[in-house]
Amino acid sequence: MRISTSQIYEAGTLNIQRNQSALYKLQNQLSTGRRVLTPEDDPVAAAQALIVGQSRAVNAQHVDNQKNASSQLGLVDSQLNALTDLLQNVRERVIQAGNSATQTNSDRQLIATELEARLGELLGIANSQNGTGDYLFSGYRGATLPFAINAALPAAAPATVSPFGYYGDDGERLLQVASSRQMAVNVSGSDLFMNVRRGNGVFAAETGGNTAGGINQGSAAVDGGAVLDPQKWSQAVNGFAWSNPASAAVQVRFSVVAGVTSYQLYDVSVPATPVAISLSAPYTPGQSIQLASSNPPAATLTDFGARIVVQGQPANNDTFSIRPSTNQSLFQTMQNLVAILRNPIGSSTYTASQYGNDLGAQLNNLDQAMQNVSRVQATIGTRMREIDSLKDTASDLDLQYQTSLSELQDLDYAKAISEFTLQKTYLDAAQLSFAKLSGLSLFNYL
Amino acid sequence: MATGLISTGISGIQVAQLGLLTTQHNITNANTAGFNRQRIVQSSNIAMLTGAGFVGQGANVSTIERMYDSFLSSQVNRSQTASSELETYYSKIKQIDNMLADANSGLSPALQEFFTGIQKVSANPSQLPARQAMISSAQALVARYQGLEARISQMYDGMNAQITTTVATINSYSQQIATLNDRIVVARSSIDQPPNDLLDQRDQLVLELNKLISVTTTTNSDGTYNVYIGNGQQLVTGTMTMTMTALPSSADPSRVAVGLKNASGAQELPESLITGGALGGLLGFRSGSLDRAANDLGRNAASLALTFNAQNALGQDLLGQSIGVGTFQANFFTITQPQVVGNAQNTGTATVTSQFVSPPPIDGYYTLSRTAAASYTLTRQSDGQSWTNTSLALLQASVPASEGLSLGGATLAVGDSTQVLGPAAAGANFYTKLTNADYRLGFDGTNYTLTRLTDNVAWTNTDRNALSTSVAGSEGFSLAISAGMAAGDTFLVQPTKAAARNLTVNPSVAADARLIAAAMPVRTSTGSTNTGSGVISEARALQGFGTPALPAAGVTLTYNSTGNTLSLSGVPAGARISVTASGVSAVYDPGASIPYSSGMQISFAGAGFQITGNLNNGDTFALLRTASGVSDGRNSLALGLLQSQNTMSGKSASFQSAYAQLVSDNGNKTREIEVRSSAQAALLKQSADARDALSGVNLDEEAANLMRYQQAYQASAKMLDVGNKLFDALLGIVS
Repeated sequence: MRISTSQIYEAGTLNIQRNQSALYKLQNQLSTGRRVLTPEDDPVAAAQALIVGQSRAVNAQHVDNQKNASSQLGLVDSQLNALTDLLQNVRERVIQAGNSATQTNSDRQLIATELEARLGELLGIANSQNGTGDYLFSGYRGATLPFAINAALPAAAPATVSPFGYYGDDGERLLQVASSRQMAVNVSGSDLFMNVRRGNGVFAAETGGNTAGGINQGSAAVDGGAVLDPQKWSQAVNGFAWSNPASAAVQVRFSVVAGVTSYQLYDVSVPATPVAISLSAPYTPGQSIQLASSNPPAATLTDFGARIVVQGQPANNDTFSIRPSTNQSLFQTMQNLVAILRNPIGSSTYTASQYGNDLGAQLNNLDQAMQNVSRVQATIGTRMREIDSLKDTASDLDLQYQTSLSELQDLDYAKAISEFTLQKTYLDAAQLSFAKLSGLSLFNYL
Repeated sequence: MATGLISTGISGIQVAQLGLLTTQHNITNANTAGFNRQRIVQSSNIAMLTGAGFVGQGANVSTIERMYDSFLSSQVNRSQTASSELETYYSKIKQIDNMLADANSGLSPALQEFFTGIQKVSANPSQLPARQAMISSAQALVARYQGLEARISQMYDGMNAQITTTVATINSYSQQIATLNDRIVVARSSIDQPPNDLLDQRDQLVLELNKLISVTTTTNSDGTYNVYIGNGQQLVTGTMTMTMTALPSSADPSRVAVGLKNASGAQELPESLITGGALGGLLGFRSGSLDRAANDLGRNAASLALTFNAQNALGQDLLGQSIGVGTFQANFFTITQPQVVGNAQNTGTATVTSQFVSPPPIDGYYTLSRTAAASYTLTRQSDGQSWTNTSLALLQASVPASEGLSLGGATLAVGDSTQVLGPAAAGANFYTKLTNADYRLGFDGTNYTLTRLTDNVAWTNTDRNALSTSVAGSEGFSLAISAGMAAGDTFLVQPTKAAARNLTVNPSVAADARLIAAAMPVRTSTGSTNTGSGVISEARALQGFGTPALPAAGVTLTYNSTGNTLSLSGVPAGARISVTASGVSAVYDPGASIPYSSGMQISFAGAGFQITGNLNNGDTFALLRTASGVSDGRNSLALGLLQSQNTMSGKSASFQSAYAQLVSDNGNKTREIEVRSSAQAALLKQSADARDALSGVNLDEEAANLMRYQQAYQASAKMLDVGNKLFDALLGIVS
């Protein structure tokens, strides 16, 4: 084939340029360590790298959030520990005060004073703040002091000072700790301090006073009671034909006639008009009293699925009341305890057995509060454990994302360097041969 | 005899001289673009008849021809025009590729920073520095969108300028070809020999023209060329030229289009006629890749703004304000509506505007209304699908069971309209249906037609409002078309093109970080006297929150054990209660007693929550306004979730994956163009090689020719010497 001189030059420079451009790209890859320099090099890998890159960044954000959650939960946990210690201390004092045989009224005054100090301490814990000045236990209302004396409300007996009000809300402060997990890093004050069920958590058994007026006159003491069948209890509360369904309440009323003590259950949902719901039954001290209606006198025979145990000898017309547990704040329990301890015993208006019953009831409430704190602490502990395992997962994920990013983008150096050497050989050859070829000309011989 | 010798010798000298000149010409033009090597065509003179027969009379040069093959030449032209087109396309698309390539300058880092900022606010909603940091990261994100868009805009501007200069160059070339046509005719008419160098120049101009636009040529009998573009539009006819012109496109004045000047002004050429060459590459790139990139980016920005604003509107700011209260800012981002450009040649008086479907759709939301005594309508908000019937019972029958709705519990007065939530609402998220296409709205006198320009899918309706409704259901924007459109009028609708440019952070929010709606405006609380174990979940504000407004005292739910029902007090009069349990949603009037089942979802007036557990008679729960909720970060959490939710493209892509799609598509196109371009370059080289093999100058060959003609010259000169000597011999005899 005939060749024109310009073809020789054009082909020569074109080949050298092509080699140089390949070398340029390889050199860029080698110096950046990236196989994909622009999306054009591998469009699919480039797009995937973007998505994996985001997943990795999101994962890193979750790790940040986990650390944040850990520290917030740790803060709550340490306050809960302090709270547990405090409550245990209070409980010891209450047990101590319960020994009415050894404790004089003035001893009890001293204990009351100590409990008042504890109440102040409790308030300090309840109103504690985190590092940025938000109150720990105020729900969403981080800037609102959650607990303070509610001056508007009069004291409910037996407390003598106005109750503490809760000014936060039930809000959960959530953090995104994993892609599909939002974790609450706080406990609302209402959950921890306010919404503590009274009695045994389902119902509260307390002295109901003598129907002839005043307090119970006998020495009978009621325990906290027990729920044997929660379902039956729930059905009884909701389904029994109460005089006033909105405030179900049972009264155990004792009668002592001719030395024979017997008891009968009454529906006291309307306190002014008790309605008998069971037949009178004989009573022996220490007896377990089943809560159940009978027919007659009630319209139905309903087992409430619960019982109470009464110790000691009641007087005629002494009563105990059993009501579904409502909430009583821990502050209220403390205030009640102080009030009970401050009330001197030994008179007919405040007997030792009434004192024992009152103290027992508040002790039940205190135990409920302690259980509640343990429950919350367990929740916090579970969350912290979950965070730990999430952290492990997150670091595994990070490694995995890193690996896939590297596979998508990074350069195989061994391969690239050998390609570079090969390409350089091509370029050398092209340059050398071009120089030789272009030097050949017939004009050299003319 | 001697005179014969001399004249023959002189003819030889003359031929050798011409040979030397031609060789010299070839050597000096070895590097001239478009030069075809020339050679003399030598032939013997007519012989003289003598008694001894025909005596040769020497040689002459009949013509100087150029080594030219029109087939090879046109092959080069065709390869060249395709190669130039691809090269131009590649050099342009490579710019987008590079822009998207950079891990630091692309959209991804800014997007990530922004969502990190949101997470920081969720963690510390009461902290102003965290809020301020979120504003800053939002501004950085907006700046990134604008920066990317600015570079695309610059490319549009550059494109306009380049088209204009290219058209000017084309005009100059066609003018030169016409001039050469003229000179060639003149040259030919004076002597019947080919004006080789003029022909070379003209062929070279045709090649240069092909680099700019694909042209075809025909040769007239007088040797002039006619040059055509497209499917036969004349550019040069003999010595006449048509002038091409760059003019604002009538469909979109911001784009420069190509037209041909005629007596009445200029006729815009459809882009499909402009193929090949740099101009074809520019137009192809603009409509094939640049529009796509601009629209994709805009779609990303618009979707971000629309979904983010929709969620932000459901929140509550640090000042305790929610939608409709005080200076609450529902929009975190501001964005301009889709742009609509009327065709410059429209004759009607209609105006057309367009709106994004806002708030963007969310699955499982319905509107139940009664427009007349016997007309009940249920509309699915996500796509505008609606069912109408004369009574609620009949309407219930006509709504497919798959919607999971039970409407019988509600009563509506005429004119009532209320939001109803179906089972699909649980866990649903906001999304847009915007595409990366531009649309053309046309009218033929009867039908309004909207055509999606990327794939020519069309919506047609005689009722312009119905057209808007059906488009809004599937394309994410609506149209407001006024009366007065004339047949043949068109409007160009560009939903997303300018969105990235016009995206900004709401200046009010930017100035006061407290206005970020990080909290939710509703919360729940459990009655303190409850004796059951029931639990109420956190409340969420849902789409439609604020209408009707919740009462300040909140809504109280009370459980009644007699009928196992919940009764609600405080539900605003206009609202209806949607209750979802076991995958079926039922609707109730505000005062209705609602059967209780554990795990039921309750929603009304744009607020929703769930109740689980065993309730005791008289237990209460409350839905309340979030007051003083400075540590509430629920809405910012919901905002943060938008990052990984499928918020775009009809719920099929997240912001990041849609952007990755753009990167990948553009990368693929770049790669494709590069491969095609190098293949075409190889083809061009082959055809150029074939042409050069015939027409190119080989200096060694010319050196040989130089020697050959030199020898011929010397030999002929020797003949003169011989003749002279013979003549001298004769003279010597005489003397």
